[in-house]
Amino acid sequence: MPPKVAKGEYIETDTGNKISRRSQIHGTQHIILGGKTVIQAEAVIRGDLYRIPSTAASTDPIGRYSYISKSAILRPPSRLHRGVHSFYPLKIGDHVFVGESAVVEAASLGNHVHVGAGATIGSMAIIKDFSVVLEGAVVPPGMVVPSWCVVGGRPARIVGEVGEGYGVEGAEGGLARERYRVVGRP
Amino acid sequence: MSRPFPYTYISCPCADTPVPDPERKRRSRESPRKPTQERTETQPEDSQKAKKEEIQAAQEEDEEQTFNPRSPRSNFSLYPPEQLLYCEDCHQIKCSRCITEEIVSWYCPSCLFETPSSMVKSDGNRCGRNCFNCPVCTAPLAVSTLENVTGNGTQQGPWVLSCGYCMWTTLDIGIKFDKPTNIRNQLQKMTDATAAPAFDTRSRQGSRAFGDLKSPLSTLTSIADGQPTTKDGGEETPTSKEESSETGPSNTDARFAALKSFYRTQISETSTSPSDPLGSDFGFSSPGALNRLMSLYASSSRLSGLYGGNKKSKSKPPVMREALTASEGLRIASENEESAIIKRLASAEGGWDSVASIEQRSQQSPDVRFVDELLPLPALLRTKRSKRCKSCKHILVKPETKPQSTRFRIRLIALSYIPLPTLRPLTLPSSMTAPPPPPQDLNALPPLRPVHVLLTLKNHMFDPVRITLATPSVTPGRVASKVTVLCPQFDIGANSDVWDEALQGASAPVTGDSRMTGLRAHEKVPEAGKVWDKGRNWTTVVLEVIPGTLPGSEAETSTVGGNEGDENVVNGSNQDEDVLEIPVFVHMEWDAEAQLEQQNVGKASKPDDLVARELAYWMVLGVGRIQDGF
Repeated sequence: MPPKVAKGEYIETDTGNKISRRSQIHGTQHIILGGKTVIQAEAVIRGDLYRIPSTAASTDPIGRYSYISKSAILRPPSRLHRGVHSFYPLKIGDHVFVGESAVVEAASLGNHVHVGAGATIGSMAIIKDFSVVLEGAVVPPGMVVPSWCVVGGRPARIVGEVGEGYGVEGAEGGLARERYRVVGRP
Repeated sequence: MSRPFPYTYISCPCADTPVPDPERKRRSRESPRKPTQERTETQPEDSQKAKKEEIQAAQEEDEEQTFNPRSPRSNFSLYPPEQLLYCEDCHQIKCSRCITEEIVSWYCPSCLFETPSSMVKSDGNRCGRNCFNCPVCTAPLAVSTLENVTGNGTQQGPWVLSCGYCMWTTLDIGIKFDKPTNIRNQLQKMTDATAAPAFDTRSRQGSRAFGDLKSPLSTLTSIADGQPTTKDGGEETPTSKEESSETGPSNTDARFAALKSFYRTQISETSTSPSDPLGSDFGFSSPGALNRLMSLYASSSRLSGLYGGNKKSKSKPPVMREALTASEGLRIASENEESAIIKRLASAEGGWDSVASIEQRSQQSPDVRFVDELLPLPALLRTKRSKRCKSCKHILVKPETKPQSTRFRIRLIALSYIPLPTLRPLTLPSSMTAPPPPPQDLNALPPLRPVHVLLTLKNHMFDPVRITLATPSVTPGRVASKVTVLCPQFDIGANSDVWDEALQGASAPVTGDSRMTGLRAHEKVPEAGKVWDKGRNWTTVVLEVIPGTLPGSEAETSTVGGNEGDENVVNGSNQDEDVLEIPVFVHMEWDAEAQLEQQNVGKASKPDDLVARELAYWMVLGVGRIQDGF
């Protein structure tokens, strides 16, 4: 642990985002944080990888109360289309948790998605709302994880479903506010 | 899914009623809850404690002891709170064992399209579009073009399915597609190419007979069915046996269809014969009608075979025969077929890597042996299911039909009725100046050192709730930890409208626990009989836990804890014996608005439409793991 910065570990923006000073965010003009997002130390967000003929708003929106843990890497998905390698936006919904050292290259993560520590989400994968990626899972490129499903393994398969109460505030899947609140507390 | 500490599980009461016998269910619905409810309602308010004991006693009548989280049975009754449902009719928590499920819709998990129920069977429970899984690693396959046309030329290249995970493509088995759409039909035409074109089983108008050919499993069962048939027939057993094991992968289904239609015609030929004098003896006055009935109930070849066998033994002239020619579905194994396989297994280019694993083969047609015979698997469909209470048949969960939707038409989850328990370790800083101590490592709790944990119960009902907590003073099992609930009785406020609270001003106690761990925590000391903190619809109490010592550790020999008296120690701890789990009995009471059927005329203690309700259940708090030794 490096000595504590006097200013505090986190920069808090007007919209309540808490961003660690030790995170690496590249291409900030292409990243939209929805507010109350937490980005922990050593997390990497590659906003600099965007579509070269920057036509539309090819940005990476991250929803409210989403939580990017330590050393996680968010990288926009890419695809070889008509011989051209191009990047696509990476959309992250609200109340998303991305675990430590996870690598996310998904096309979209829905709301209340939980990505376990060390998981890898392949390029252009789509993780729908209320689904759980277990620790260490490798979601293959292009996979679609339907809502309420739990995937795990390498390659990831659907291994179960979460209960109907998943995502209720305060219960499993609904702890985002609580998580946000305790971040950066002295 | 095991959870990290601290966790809370709630025990579903259904574990006490082991047999899902409807009569027993009905009794249990009435007996264990109702009497206590009535008793407690008739009682005056004063003897809260006696009441609690009484409930405890009632509970003990049921299970005769406190809940033991270590008992092997408790594994089957403990659920994370969000998985439990609540039946408003039975007034009981419902777990996945006390519900029945009904399928609302089928959908493909990959393309998220709904499959109409009429098509599910004919598609073999698999997606009929472009969704395939890799036969090698089960990852989804992507449709990609072979010729990477640079520039914007029209991409007319042949198409393949490729796996982004293990880099398998259909080129490995020599399959290319002309169009990027309707791949499943294309693939089926390709694999059927060797079969007789008449048996294009994949055409969508597939009758019921063809319908169940699609899944490999049903092929297997039909083969199993085929054997008794031949036994009945008595002849040609060897050939048909080989038939079941030695069919080519591409046309197994077609051959099965051929055999099926062959036997069907055989049956109809033999049974519709007019010279059937014995038929009427069994009341089969009209064999044709019977045959029609039989085919209604079971189109499987076994039943029809049995039937045909009976016929044959009785009626002489129309003898049912077995398939004789290839067009009838007969296939005689070539003599060196297996030796070719063996040779390939032993050859240099064969070997381990080229042999399909059991898992891979289990999804394929029965005689696929090598990796290059594996066919891409259409994605298995998933279902959306509604859930009903097993005892009263009320719907508890009904999701919207659309696969993409995450909403529910009905969703009676337990969390809207029972308070949501959350557990948190309490760290008390020793002084203001000192840096806060590192958070307690819950995976290594030092034995015999008191730990305080905060139990927060959050009410999701719109009525305030009175809670009584009870816990055995010593946790069951060999590792005896002392547990004290510092404030066993408390109230939780109603889950009023969030807007009310917001309009009441900024002093809304939603951020209450943020203050608690902030400055106020410094002067705060856990006190007996006082709640730790309280918010709009939640209350936090402190539990004092003194973790016991593990059997066999050196701390145990000194017996400082004083609780080891009854321990006949066998050295060496069992698995997970060091996990500190506290069973807590929760009893909640509240006044609910009476529904019509619940209005009891006899007890008019409540003048308005309020009815006293109570609910009691066990929950288990997983605090942490006790350290071995000091």
